[in-house]
Amino acid sequence: MKAAIMPGFSELIIIVNPAEKVTREGLLTINMPWLYAPWPDAREKGVIELEVEGETLRALLTTLAQVYRQAGVDFEPINPGTNDMDEDYDVLINGKNYVTIPHGINTKLKDGDKVKVKILWRWDG
Amino acid sequence: MLDRDELVRYNRQLRIPDFGEEGQQKLKNSHVVIAGVGGLGCASATYLAAAGVGHITIVDFDVVELSNLNRQVLYWEEDIGAKKVVVAQKKLSKLNSTVEITPICAEITEENVYSVIDGAQVVVDGLDRLNARLVLNAACVKQKVPYVYGGVSRLRGMVTTIIPGETPCLACFNPEGPRGLGVLGITPALIANLQALETIKLIIGQRPSLAGKLLLFNGNDMKFRVYDIEKNVGCKVCSQGAARYTGKDRKGPQGEG
Repeated sequence: MKAAIMPGFSELIIIVNPAEKVTREGLLTINMPWLYAPWPDAREKGVIELEVEGETLRALLTTLAQVYRQAGVDFEPINPGTNDMDEDYDVLINGKNYVTIPHGINTKLKDGDKVKVKILWRWDG
Repeated sequence: MLDRDELVRYNRQLRIPDFGEEGQQKLKNSHVVIAGVGGLGCASATYLAAAGVGHITIVDFDVVELSNLNRQVLYWEEDIGAKKVVVAQKKLSKLNSTVEITPICAEITEENVYSVIDGAQVVVDGLDRLNARLVLNAACVKQKVPYVYGGVSRLRGMVTTIIPGETPCLACFNPEGPRGLGVLGITPALIANLQALETIKLIIGQRPSLAGKLLLFNGNDMKFRVYDIEKNVGCKVCSQGAARYTGKDRKGPQGEG
């Protein structure tokens, strides 16, 4: 699958197999520049293009982690210990939390699906 | 000038290059507000008092409960039912009687936040709610008081040092995340001590290491990650609000921060 990725505030917005060219126009600004580490040239237009082998949410997140790892960035939404989402992150598919979708992290993504990977902040004291 | 007892008490930190008597004097003359004396606030208050911060204001509206004792180390079994700020004041004063401890038994609100942080050189986050943090963040930005954010859950934690006018503020991130996930007592102790270190650096005039950076601690894998973070020029609290991405004009008022 093809993925168009737009880093946001504390999140990555990902469009799967977009039907048309994805632009960042109109979106709010970026403040986590490290999310562009593997693709420094993409920062100018604000959209990262990535080819992913596989069709599932798991494949997408695994590929992302591999690409970040190669760039020296420790961004691993799937915890290798649990083989499930790491608790630093949450994922929505078209606005629905992945845990509420029948196949969860193994959900097959469809053309135009909007995946949001959120970095969770900590509020307890 | 430090007196003889102070030279003895702080001997180990006076030996540190770039700290010395001048740094100690700055700590002695400083005023730090610790907002919330739970797991985070107990640890940061203890180490800042031990280090010799001259005036510490502690703010909390809660009373000590049995379920606090796994992490809130200023409180003991005999303190259950007592106001946290009263107990904390007593214990901190026993640790270092030269430190002035001001207890404020109140919840931080938009109405009282400016009086709570009045005169503070640094505000240290020990809260456990997003809304109160955003209120505190906005007041610190407005009053130009550095604010050291810390947050924890389970075995994970985060820290960033917010310097108004320079670094991103908490509101820049439109932050989301669950609370009430549980916490191992060691996690807030660790995060609070990082906050205390940042606070001391701010007071003695050193560049805080986490200004413009977000530290994430993962105690499950024993990983520390530090990421650069930038101001959101669309932030309604610290910037002009409602800016949208235009790609090339990244530093301009309509561009990316």
